[in-house]
Amino acid sequence: MAPFWERLSRPVTRTPRVAIGVSIALLVASLVLGVISQNARRAETLDQAQVQADILAGSLAAPLAFNDIGAAHEYLNALGANPAVEAAGAYDPSGRLVASFRRVGDGPPPTNTVGALTATTGELTLRKLVKQGTTGLGSIYLRIRVESLLHRELRYLGIGIVMIMASLLIAALGASHASLTEAHRKLQEQIEEREKAEEALRQAQKMEAMGQLTGGVAHDFNNLLMVASSGLDLMDRTSDPIRRDRLKQGIRQAIDRGADLTQQLLAFSRKSPQKTEVVNLPDLIAGMRDVLDRSLREDIKVSVEAQDGLWPVEIDPAQFEVAVLNVAINARDAMPNGGVIAVRLENAPCDEGQPGDMVRITVTDSGHGMAPELLNRAFEPFFTTKGVGQGTGLGLSQVYGFARASGGDVKIESELGEGAEVTLRLPRSEKTPAVTTIARRRSFPKGVDRKCRILLVEDDERVAELVSEMLRELGYDVTRAPSAATALEALRLEHAFDLVFSDMVMPGDMSGLDLARKIVRERPDLPVVLSTGYSSSAADATAEGIRLLLKPYRIEALAAELSAALNDAARRPRTRH
Amino acid sequence: MGVLVSPGGARRRVRGLVAALTTLAIWAFPIAVCAQSLEWAVKASFLYKFAPFVEWPASAFPAASSPFNICVFGADPFGGLLDQAAHGQTVAGHPVAVRRIESVQGRSDCQVVFVSRSRQQPPAEVLRALRGLPVLTVTDAREGVDGGIIHFVVQDGRVRFTIDNALARAGGLVLSSKLLALATTPQRGAD
Repeated sequence: MAPFWERLSRPVTRTPRVAIGVSIALLVASLVLGVISQNARRAETLDQAQVQADILAGSLAAPLAFNDIGAAHEYLNALGANPAVEAAGAYDPSGRLVASFRRVGDGPPPTNTVGALTATTGELTLRKLVKQGTTGLGSIYLRIRVESLLHRELRYLGIGIVMIMASLLIAALGASHASLTEAHRKLQEQIEEREKAEEALRQAQKMEAMGQLTGGVAHDFNNLLMVASSGLDLMDRTSDPIRRDRLKQGIRQAIDRGADLTQQLLAFSRKSPQKTEVVNLPDLIAGMRDVLDRSLREDIKVSVEAQDGLWPVEIDPAQFEVAVLNVAINARDAMPNGGVIAVRLENAPCDEGQPGDMVRITVTDSGHGMAPELLNRAFEPFFTTKGVGQGTGLGLSQVYGFARASGGDVKIESELGEGAEVTLRLPRSEKTPAVTTIARRRSFPKGVDRKCRILLVEDDERVAELVSEMLRELGYDVTRAPSAATALEALRLEHAFDLVFSDMVMPGDMSGLDLARKIVRERPDLPVVLSTGYSSSAADATAEGIRLLLKPYRIEALAAELSAALNDAARRPRTRH
Repeated sequence: MGVLVSPGGARRRVRGLVAALTTLAIWAFPIAVCAQSLEWAVKASFLYKFAPFVEWPASAFPAASSPFNICVFGADPFGGLLDQAAHGQTVAGHPVAVRRIESVQGRSDCQVVFVSRSRQQPPAEVLRALRGLPVLTVTDAREGVDGGIIHFVVQDGRVRFTIDNALARAGGLVLSSKLLALATTPQRGAD
C-alpha cells in the first residue's frame, strides 16, 4: 500500500514545484528581457542621438560661420520636429549661445563646454563641435529623451503585470499544492481508519464463524461420540453376535462420519494434502454409486450422463468424491419430498472464456432452489441455511476449496422454486489415467503371501499399539521405533526390514519426511510409507514421490497402501537384501 | 555678434520682427556708434570663414605648404580687422596669410581676392582677369563693386551675400551646398 501511495503522491508533490520553478523562471526572464530591451533601446537611442547631433552640427556649420541666426533657428526647429528632442542650442566659437530650441525642461545652457556625452535617467545630453573641414565654427548642445515617461511607465507596467501574474500563479499553485497535500493526508488517514475497521469486521466475522462452527461441528461430533459410546456400552451388555455386529457397524459409521467432517474442515482450510491422480470421472462416479445411495434417501433418484470420450482430469479422487457427495447432500436437503439429481459430465473446450480445456460436471436438482441473495454466500464457509446440527456450512465451501485447489472453478445457479444447478469445472489432463486406480482403491487384500518385516516409527504409545495390532492382523512382522533416530539405529543394526512405515510429525530433530528422504537416499530399495493427518510438509512428501497415508485410515486402506508399496519395491531390481 | 536675424522672410515675419527688436535693443547702441567698423569686422571674419566651404583645385596652391592667401585688391576697407580675424587661422592645413595687392595680371597666388575700389586698375578688369582661375573673388556692394563670385550685401541691417555659382565653377571651385543655402538671392542695388 505504502509504495503505491508514494508513487501516487510523487506527481502530486512534484507538479507545483515544477510550476513554481517555471513561474520564477518566467519572472526572471521577463526582468532580464526588460533590462536587455532597455539597454538595447538606450544604445539605439544613443546612436540615433549621435547621428542627429552630427546632422545638426553639419547643418549649423554655415549659419554659425556666417552668423545667420535665422537659419540656425530654422535648423534647430526642424530638429525639434523629433518629439524626442527636449532642447537644442547653437553656440559660436567662443561658447556663447546664439540660437536655441526648448520643448520641455530647461533650455540649453547659456554657455557650452564641449565634453563627453552625459546620460541621466531617461535623457541623453550631447555636446559637439561644429566644424567645417578643420575650422571650428562653434558648438551645439542637444538633449534627447531616451524614452517617454508614458512609454517607460507602460513597459514597467507590463513587467509589473507579468510579475503579479507570476506571483499569483505561484501563490495559486502553492495553495493547490497545500490543499492537495492536505487532501492526500486526509485520504491516507481515512484509508488507515477503513483498514482498521475492516480488520475489526473480519475479526468479528471470524468470531461469528467460530461460533457457528463450534455449534455445528460440536453438535455433529457429540452425536457421533454418542453413537460410538452407546454402541460400546451396548456391546458390553450383549453377547448376541448379530447384535454386536450391528452395533459395530453403527460405531464404524459414526467414526467414518467424524473422519469425513475433519476432512471437510481441512479441505476448506486448504491445508489438506492433495493426493492427485489422473482419473476418468465417469469411473469415479460409477464407483460412488453405493456411497451416494447410502447418503441419499430412497425417494431421490440419481441419473448420471457422461459424454463419450470425456477428457481425463488430474485431481484428488477422495476430495472429488467428498465434493460430489456434498453437492448431492445439498440437493437432497433441497428436495424434502424427493426428486431427481442429474449429474452431467461433458468436455468444455478452451473457447468459453476459460484458460484451457476443461471438463464440466453439472449437478442439477429439482428442489426448492435458493434466493439470489443467498447464492452469493453459498460458498462462504460456515454459511448455512440449515438449523444448528443439521449442517456445518462447510459442504459447498469444501466444493469451492477443492475446485480452486484443482485449478478449476465452481458456480451455482438457482431461482426460488426452480431448483439449483451447480457447475464444477476441472482442467483437462493430458496424461492417461491409470486403469488400475479404482480397482486398487477398492480391492481389500486379505493378508500377504509371505511374512514381511515392517519398521513402524511412531512416537505415540497408544497409536503405535493399535497400528502394530492392525499390521499384525494383516500378517506383517512389526518392529517399533519411537523416533526417527532410533529407527535409523534399528536399520543400521538389522538389514532385514522390507518396509518402513512412519508417522510424519515426531519429536526430535528429524521428522518423518527427513527420515524418508534419508532412507530413499541411502536405501533406495527399501520402500517407505508416511502417515499424517495434517501437515504442511505432506504436500512436499507427495511432490517427492513418497507414499502417504492420510489419518485416520481404515485397515483396508493400510493394507492396500502397504501392499502397493511392497509390490512397487518388488518390481524394482534389488541391489541389496 | 548676433547681428543677423532669420532670412526666412514673410512666414516668420512676426517672429522675425520680435527677434529684430530684441537684437536692436541689444545692439542698437553699438550699431549706432560703430556700425561701420562692426560691419567690416563681420565681413573680415566671413572672408576667411568662406574657405572651409569652398574646395580649391590642387592647382590653386603652388606647394602643399603654401600659405592660404587672402588678398585685398585696391582700397582696404578692413583696416586691421582682417589681419585680426585671420591671425593664427589655417585652412585645410595652409596657414592663412593676408596680402594687399595693387594689380592683378592674370594668374596670382591668391586663393581669395577681395576686389575693392582702385585707381590703378578698374575692378571690372581685375574680375575679368581672374575669371576662369581658381580664385574666390569677393566684391562688396558698399564699395560700389560687383561681379565677384561672392558679393556682400547688407539686408535689413545684416551682412548677407549672394553667390554666382556659375562663375565659381568656371574657376574650378566647388562651393558647399551649405554655403549656397545661406546665400541670399541677388538683389543688386537693393542696399
